[in-house]
Amino acid sequence: MSLLELKNIVKQYGNYYASNDVSFTIPKGKIFGLLGPNGAGKTTLIRMITRILYPDSGQILFAGQPLQDKHTEQIGYMPEERGLYKKMKVGDHLIYLARLKGLDKAKAAERVDFWLKKFDIETWYNKTLEELSKGMSQKVQFIATVIHDPNLLILDEPFSGLDPINAKLIEDEISALKQSGKTIIFSTHRMEQVEEICDEIVLVNQGKKILEGTVHELKQRFKENKYKLSFQGQLTAPTIANMKLLQQTKTDWLVQFDAAHQGNQLLRHAIDQQAEVISFQEVLPTINEIFIRQVQAN
Amino acid sequence: MLKIWIIIQREYITRVKKPAFFITTLLAPLGFLVLMGASVFISTYNQSSTKVAIVDESQQFKALFEEYGLADADDGSVRFQVVTEKYDDVLKAMNAKEDAPFQAVLHIPENFDVNNPNHAAIAYRYNERPGMAKQQLITQRMNDAMVKLRMKSSNVDQALMDELQTKVKLNFESLKDHNENATYTTVASIFGMIMSMAIYISLFFYGTMIMKSVQEEKTNRIVEVLASSVKPFQLLMGKILGVGAVGITQIILWMGLMFVVNIVVGILFGFSIGSQMPAPSAMPAEAMDADDMNRLMSTISALPFKRIMILYPIYFLGGFLLYGSLFAAVGAAMGEDSDQQSLMLPISLPIIISVIIAMNVVNDPDSSLGFWASLIPFTSPVVMSAMLPLVNNGWQIAASLVLLVAGFLFTTFIAARIYRVGILMYGKKVKISEIMRWIFSKA
Repeated sequence: MSLLELKNIVKQYGNYYASNDVSFTIPKGKIFGLLGPNGAGKTTLIRMITRILYPDSGQILFAGQPLQDKHTEQIGYMPEERGLYKKMKVGDHLIYLARLKGLDKAKAAERVDFWLKKFDIETWYNKTLEELSKGMSQKVQFIATVIHDPNLLILDEPFSGLDPINAKLIEDEISALKQSGKTIIFSTHRMEQVEEICDEIVLVNQGKKILEGTVHELKQRFKENKYKLSFQGQLTAPTIANMKLLQQTKTDWLVQFDAAHQGNQLLRHAIDQQAEVISFQEVLPTINEIFIRQVQAN
Repeated sequence: MLKIWIIIQREYITRVKKPAFFITTLLAPLGFLVLMGASVFISTYNQSSTKVAIVDESQQFKALFEEYGLADADDGSVRFQVVTEKYDDVLKAMNAKEDAPFQAVLHIPENFDVNNPNHAAIAYRYNERPGMAKQQLITQRMNDAMVKLRMKSSNVDQALMDELQTKVKLNFESLKDHNENATYTTVASIFGMIMSMAIYISLFFYGTMIMKSVQEEKTNRIVEVLASSVKPFQLLMGKILGVGAVGITQIILWMGLMFVVNIVVGILFGFSIGSQMPAPSAMPAEAMDADDMNRLMSTISALPFKRIMILYPIYFLGGFLLYGSLFAAVGAAMGEDSDQQSLMLPISLPIIISVIIAMNVVNDPDSSLGFWASLIPFTSPVVMSAMLPLVNNGWQIAASLVLLVAGFLFTTFIAARIYRVGILMYGKKVKISEIMRWIFSKA
C-alpha cells in the first residue's frame, strides 16, 4: 500500500520548471530515497509534500486521500538547512514544536522526556540551544522531527554535519522507525548512504523524474556484466570472444562480457591453467555510477 | 486558531522573560525623567549669563535708569549695568582680558534722539553673539525704556503711564463648546501630541522588533520547520499579536509605574508630576500664578477622557496591526545581511509624514489637511490620536475607524503574501519590483 502518491506534479516559476510532470509512489513502511544533484527540484517537491508550497497542477495523495493541511500533523520534516531558536531552552523548544504539530501540552512534555531519555541527554532540558555544539543541536533537531510520532518522515540530508558517532545514532534511529512501520523520505545527493539505507529511490534532475525503482532492481537494470576474478598463481589472458579484460593486476582481473551469465568460461580457463581461484563475483554498478551516468545522459 | 494562540504565547513569553524587557521597562521612564530633567537643567542653569554695560553718552536716560534701571532677564541670562566709564574705556576693558567685566556693551550715542531713534542708532557690541531670545529681550527692554522716556517727556502722569501699559488677555472661546477656550486648546494639543508621539515611537520600536524577529527566523532557517506545521499567515499573525501583547504589557507597566511614582512623589514633596510638566517653548515664558495653575488643572479635567480612553487604544492597536504586518513583510523580504534598509523606506516614510502632519494639525485641527489625514489609514493612527481631544465630529471619527480597519485588513493581506514567499527565499537580494510580483504570485 502506498502512503504517498504524487501524480503529474507541475510547479513553475516564470519559465523555469522546478517540477515538470513528476509522478511517483512511496510505499508504506519503506525508506524512500529522493535523489538528485543540487538544484534538481528535490526541495520544491518536499515543500509541496509538507504543504509549504502548492503544485500548479497535479495531485498528491496521502494514504489515499488528497493531501490536506490536517495531514501535516502526520509529517515530520527535517530540512537540510537546520535551525532552531538559539535563545530557547531545549525542553521548551521541543514542546513548542510538538504543540504546533497538534500535541497537547501534557502529551508534548511526556514525549520530550521520552526522547531526551532515549538519547541520554536529559541534562540538556534547561540548556539554551546556543550553549550546544552543532552536533548536539542536530540531535535536538532530529527529536523535533519525530516528537509527534509522524507516519511520514522527511529527512533532507540528515547526516550532513554529523560526526560518525552521531551519524550512526541517527541511522540506527531511522532503521528503528522503519521497523515500527514509519515511512521515510530520505533526500540526498550522497550516494554511498543511499545503497545502505534506501529500499526504493527516485532520481530527479532539472525538475524531471529520470529514474525510479528499488536499489536491487536498478542495479540489475544498469549492470554491465562486469565480473571480478581474484586468484593466486599464473594466469595468461584467455581468448574468449565475447569477453574484454578491463583491468589486470597480478591477483585481480576485471572483465566484461557481452551478455549476462557467461562467467563460467573464464572460470574454466583459470582452472585449466591451474591458477588458484580465490573469488569470482559480479560487479554491479553503484547507485552513484548510475546516478552520474543518468544525469549526464540527460 | 489554536496554533496562532500557541505562537502568540511563545512570542510573548520569550520576550517578557528576557531581562532586557524589564530593563527597558524600568529604564525607559527613568530615561524620560532624565531627559526632562536635563532639558530643564539646560534651559535654566547652563545658560550663559551675559553682562551688558550701558554707556549713555546722551545722558537722556540718566534719570530713568536711576529710577527703574533696566530690568535683568527673569532667568538671569542677561544682566544690565549702567556704567559711568567712557565708551572707549569699556571697549578696551572688554578687549583686554579674558575675564572681562562685560560681555557686551550697549552704546547710546551722544546725539541720540528719542523721537528719531534710528537716526543715530543705539549700538550693541559684543564678544559673545547673543542668541535670538537674548536679542529680543534686549531690544524689548530698550524699547520699553524709550516708551517710558517719551511719556515722561510728554509729561504723562505716572498713574496714567501704568494704566496705559496694562496688557490685555484675550479670551478665546469656541461657539460650539463652552469648555473650549485658549487654555483648553493649548492643553489639548499638548496632550494630543504626547499621545501621538507615543504611537509614533511604539510603531517604530515594536515594528522593528517584529521585523528583526522575522529576519532572525529566516536567517536561522527555523521558519521552514514552522512552515511545515502551520500556515505562514498563522505564523505572521501570531508574531504580530504576540509582540503587540508585549507592547501592551509594557505600556500598562509604565502607566502603573507612573501612578506609583506620582503617589510617592506626591507624598514626599506635596505635588504631583503631571502638573509639573515643563511648559513647551511655544508658551509664554512668564511664570504661572496660582490662578493659572487652577485653570490648567480644571482644563485638564475637562478633556474628553471617556472618548480618549475608548478611541486611543483602538487607534493604537489599528496602527500597530497596519504597520506591524508591513514590518514583518520587510523582515521576510530582507536578506540575511540586513543591508537592505531601503526596503524600510516605504513603511517609515508614511509614519514620519504622519508625525509632521500631526504636529501641524494640533494647531489647526479643523483644517482640510487634518481632515484627510484623519481618514487615510496610513496616517490616521498618529494624526487622529493627536486630534482626539480636539475633534468631536462623530461621522469623521466613524469614517476614520472604518477606513482604519479596512486599511489593516488590506496591509495584512498584502504583507501575508510577501511574507509567504519571502521567508523561503534564501541568499538573494530582492528588489521592490520583485516583491510586487510576489503579491500576485501563487504559493
